[in-house]
Amino acid sequence: MKNIGIHDIPARLGVRTEAIGNGRSRVLPRGFLLLGSILLASVPAAAQNGAPAPRPDDQFSFMQLLADEGLHDIENESWNAYGQFTYISSWKPSFHAAYTNLNGSINSLLPNAERSFTGTATLYLGVRLWHGAEFYVVPEVISELPFSQLKGLAGGIQNFELQKGGTTTPQIYHSRIFAKQTFGFGGDPVKKDSSPMQLGTTEDSRRLVLVAGNFSILDFFDKNAFDIDPRQGFLSLGFLTYAAYDFASDARGYSYGGVAELYWDDWAVRFGRITPPKNPNQLPVDFRLFKYYGDQIELEHKHKVFGQEGTVRLLAYRNHEDMGRFADAIAAFEADPQKNATTCPGFNYGSNNANAPDLCWVRKPNVKVGIGGFFEQYVAKDIGVFSRAMYSDGKTEVDAYTSADRSASVGVLAKGSLWGRANDVAGAGVNLSWISKVHADYLGMGGVDGFVGDGAIRPGAETAFDAFYSVSFRRWLWLTGDFQHVANPGFNQDRGPVNIFGVRIHGEF
Amino acid sequence: MANFESHRLRLRRVLARLLCGAAFVIAIARPAPAQQSAPQPTQGFAVERFYPSAPGGGWFVMDDIDIGGGLGGAVSLTSGYARNPLEVTSAGKTQQLALVSGESFVNLAAAITYGRFRWYLNLPVPLSVTGNSGTLGAYRLTAPSVSIGANPDTVSDPRIGFDTRLFGKPGSVLRLGAGAQLIFPSGSRADYVSDGRYRAMFRFLAAGDTGHFSYAGQFGLHVRPAEGSLPPGGPEGNELLFGAGAGRRFTVHSGWDAVIGPEFFGETAVHSNYSGQTGFEGLLTGRLEQTGGKPHLRFKLGIGHGVVQSFGAPQWRVLVGVELIGQRPATRASTP
Repeated sequence: MKNIGIHDIPARLGVRTEAIGNGRSRVLPRGFLLLGSILLASVPAAAQNGAPAPRPDDQFSFMQLLADEGLHDIENESWNAYGQFTYISSWKPSFHAAYTNLNGSINSLLPNAERSFTGTATLYLGVRLWHGAEFYVVPEVISELPFSQLKGLAGGIQNFELQKGGTTTPQIYHSRIFAKQTFGFGGDPVKKDSSPMQLGTTEDSRRLVLVAGNFSILDFFDKNAFDIDPRQGFLSLGFLTYAAYDFASDARGYSYGGVAELYWDDWAVRFGRITPPKNPNQLPVDFRLFKYYGDQIELEHKHKVFGQEGTVRLLAYRNHEDMGRFADAIAAFEADPQKNATTCPGFNYGSNNANAPDLCWVRKPNVKVGIGGFFEQYVAKDIGVFSRAMYSDGKTEVDAYTSADRSASVGVLAKGSLWGRANDVAGAGVNLSWISKVHADYLGMGGVDGFVGDGAIRPGAETAFDAFYSVSFRRWLWLTGDFQHVANPGFNQDRGPVNIFGVRIHGEF
Repeated sequence: MANFESHRLRLRRVLARLLCGAAFVIAIARPAPAQQSAPQPTQGFAVERFYPSAPGGGWFVMDDIDIGGGLGGAVSLTSGYARNPLEVTSAGKTQQLALVSGESFVNLAAAITYGRFRWYLNLPVPLSVTGNSGTLGAYRLTAPSVSIGANPDTVSDPRIGFDTRLFGKPGSVLRLGAGAQLIFPSGSRADYVSDGRYRAMFRFLAAGDTGHFSYAGQFGLHVRPAEGSLPPGGPEGNELLFGAGAGRRFTVHSGWDAVIGPEFFGETAVHSNYSGQTGFEGLLTGRLEQTGGKPHLRFKLGIGHGVVQSFGAPQWRVLVGVELIGQRPATRASTP
């Protein structure tokens, strides 16, 4: 999990020797193939909003190949280009449910056997504009088929690549277009390895980083554990970040806005303000950043315990967005039963339950807040444990991420150094999500939010256990087997548990 | 006699009445005009016909194919606005509708060069596409409505391309090249940013520099399968591409050159044989660029007018662009 230092790279003497003898004739055909493959890879397309991890130096990449051929200075880059493709197939057998979509509600996970998939591809392009300034463009394409139209699960959504509103028809979009400016304030030199959305360079350990544009807030906040790319790690959504972290974003998980990060040796503090969706969980974005916004602040400290690296973070967020409060929806329905889920003319989720309250009636500028903590700690070479937990106020509906109001997760991740397969990745963990009492009351009356609502509920923690093993082939391709067991899907003890089996093919170049 | 005259008068009146009656009968018995069928809805298509040259290509549309040296690259950002790029006129020219009245966009692109070869990726991002809906003869036309807020991450019909310099050296008086582009349908037809079909372009390129004078031209084929019920002015299948540009180079400051000159470009439907389905635009362009072989910047400005304002050529357009080019071939490192 730690990146191998540049000096640890086994010298690829055969390649170097040939290149010196006949550099042009040797490089050109390979360059054709690689460049062609990169450009063509942008055709089919992808979607995940977790930050990609740094690429270890011993892993195959186009940039490393150019560097090996003496054509690119990978430690002081003026540009780079990386790519990935991922295909995830999931299958769930039928499961028991006391009821499904009761009284016209629409958000149950269907109890019959279903298949789901996502196919994604991403191209990461970066260029240095001037000293300290970087610019990134990341086109993606995704094709997907969720279980039950992505209804009925919260933190237990089995595949973090799934997007709201996705289709099986491939959709191409730009996931990120942003500029980054770094101001150095001294301290020790910190080597930044070339990787997706990071140009190879050396920076000061004390620095200010300003980011503006279109990005995922998870590119900067609550980064994935142990530098393992999410696409090589857990499949369950609850491990991507805090399930209760309702960060402002469009339906794909991306936002516009700005981030400021101050690094001071082992400490870092970052603040970000980003755009929310115009309507909860929808693609259109509200750009009125002084009126509607999502703010977050994170404090980070890196440390060593008995020589092993670790990180601790605290994160708090405050959203000011057009959202409905559960208590308001219940009160509006009780005062006037005509204000139910079938009669609201504004944006709503289409429930057919005429005896249920609906958030549509009470959406107005509201505040949602949450606070959470994260730690990760290596316990041995290439083996680490992590945990994160968050408490959100639970008064307002999900606006962008998932329905959980409180969440906690714990797990272990390991690379296969112990058993001689250093590029393999294995992990096991459990994530739990809860909803607030008023949220449960609202669902119990038949209400729905963006993801859950069975028509009735016996509240319980949605608990997802996830275990996987990723086998690495040729240092650029991974094949993963995954098993998940989800108890109380949709926070409802009357339904489930659900077993989900997954396979993933993931390539990086 | 009087009786006879009176009889003739009565006969005339009767005949007149008969003629009037006959005329009335004929008039009302005339076959009714064919019943107008209900206007049919139409589908959108990629109305934008400005395809920016590859990053580092110098011109807005033409390409200087000044490709050379070792591994290099370029990135570019081009943005612009086109006014009335699709005005639909009824058959009798009695009705007109600006179906697409305004279109603004950003094109982000990156290129990698090696030797005489260039690969590139172009990502068009529509910022705003607006227009007017209405019924025109047999067509029911629905205007696009695109805004960056409603479509925050759309990439409409990205292109990947490959160009090669076939003849001539960088900076020489005559350079010939060829290129191909593949366009992926990703945008929405209703937004008038995509045909919903794969498209391809094949172009022959020419360019040169002599003294302070630079020129470039292109001729090619746009493979464009037509499909669906399209409004007048829509694509009619494959198109021929043509264009030329010329400019004079000035040294405006130490390390900076300016090139000012016109670019003309257009397209015509192959099967129409230049019989109306042709668009033709002129651009007055100026670019300011750093000289020398190191990574350099190029700023571009263009103001254009639809010379033949049909087939997607706008009433007018304005363009701005900036390019960052990794390296310049050694023979083009300085102003003549």
